[in-house]
Amino acid sequence: MDDKRARFESQVLPHLDAAYRLARWLCHAPGDADDVVQEAILRAFRGFEALRGSDAKAWLLTIVRNCHFTAAKQQQRRASVPLPEETDEADGHAMISTTPSPESDSIRSDQQQVLERLMASLPEEHRTVLILREIEEMDYAQIAAVTQVPIGTVMSRLARSRAALKSKWLQEVEGEPRAVR
Amino acid sequence: MQCAEALRVQAYFDGEVDAVSAAEIERHVEHCAECRALLEDLEQVRARLRRGVSYEGAPAALRAQVMHSLDLEAAGVGNIIAAPPASSRPLAREAPLRRGRGFWSTIAGGIGGAALAAAVAAFLVIPRMDGPLSDEIVSAHVRSLMPAHLIDVVSTDKHTVKPWFAGHADVSPVVADFESNGFRLIGGRADYIDHQRSAVVVYQHGPHVINVFSWAGTDRLPSNSTRSGYHMAFWSQGDIHYCAVSDTGWDELLGLVRLLREVP
Repeated sequence: MDDKRARFESQVLPHLDAAYRLARWLCHAPGDADDVVQEAILRAFRGFEALRGSDAKAWLLTIVRNCHFTAAKQQQRRASVPLPEETDEADGHAMISTTPSPESDSIRSDQQQVLERLMASLPEEHRTVLILREIEEMDYAQIAAVTQVPIGTVMSRLARSRAALKSKWLQEVEGEPRAVR
Repeated sequence: MQCAEALRVQAYFDGEVDAVSAAEIERHVEHCAECRALLEDLEQVRARLRRGVSYEGAPAALRAQVMHSLDLEAAGVGNIIAAPPASSRPLAREAPLRRGRGFWSTIAGGIGGAALAAAVAAFLVIPRMDGPLSDEIVSAHVRSLMPAHLIDVVSTDKHTVKPWFAGHADVSPVVADFESNGFRLIGGRADYIDHQRSAVVVYQHGPHVINVFSWAGTDRLPSNSTRSGYHMAFWSQGDIHYCAVSDTGWDELLGLVRLLREVP
């Protein structure tokens, strides 16, 4: 058991930060992100033997994402009013139903806030591929593994999310009336 | 409205195509204004995201919580799922034993055994040339990511980092800051690689740490590879071997390597 723990700490825990960052982008409340990461690490530890030297980061992030969906489904079932669902529309008319955590807003720059709000308004599938590619710098195969879709889908989601973010950004800085606050 | 090559251009931008396709795509982009504009857009979105998104890692409290629940889990408290079903355990223990006995009895089987042993030895030696060094570097990289292990000399100034190595490592590597290219010098460290005191220059790219190991050597280097999700790029300059290792994308890692090799 000790050996397993040591191997787990050296192979999987270095990716704790990446797991947390992804969870923060998936969950709307920071506390939820903590719970998801906690649960994901436990599940990863229990299923650690399945990893067998493959890509620990992609593997852990897959578990984080699955934990998030499980938790979100449970929350949805408990809530009397169902949460608004994010749509998979390409052009970003998706309803802005959430804002990123307000607690640290004051120390972030305006640009950061705008960007985070725009990111939060993307459908989850699009936000996730963008974060995995641009921030976590994973390649298509890794992103396909984490999001459990074919590489072709990763490519089209990336293209659509990048285009959507760009046009949202333009709307925002040019102050078009469509920009939602 | 969109060029049929758009997805390939994007793959090129993401460093996902081989050299031949890359040359093709570059030729295409020269003639296609739409794809040129696309490349610019992709670059802009990337720059904006990497500049604008905060990279905060797991808070210390969460890290502590995680360690605590691992303690409980490892101690078997409240843990039902972790224990493998009793019936599978003896099997798992027996299998390697049986394989082991078979192996040794073949070796003991005279001339045929000797030939096999030689074959096995050859098989073992070849991967070894790549194996231990890469393993050593990945372990050193992972070790460096643990709290308080990353940097011995904290500085973004190459004129501070480089002289520091003189007293602490066996080589004097290239040290430079490429902040404008997204690779920020954050410090240096001495680490033990290939039985030497290796000099490690530490860079940061977005949320990613890149360790650039350097040590004296003239022997053949392993080829670039990926282990447990960490990319490793090897090269030599003069009589110094280098290895850049990180969980950045290949494209980004090789970008740093290119910059380092261009330093006069």
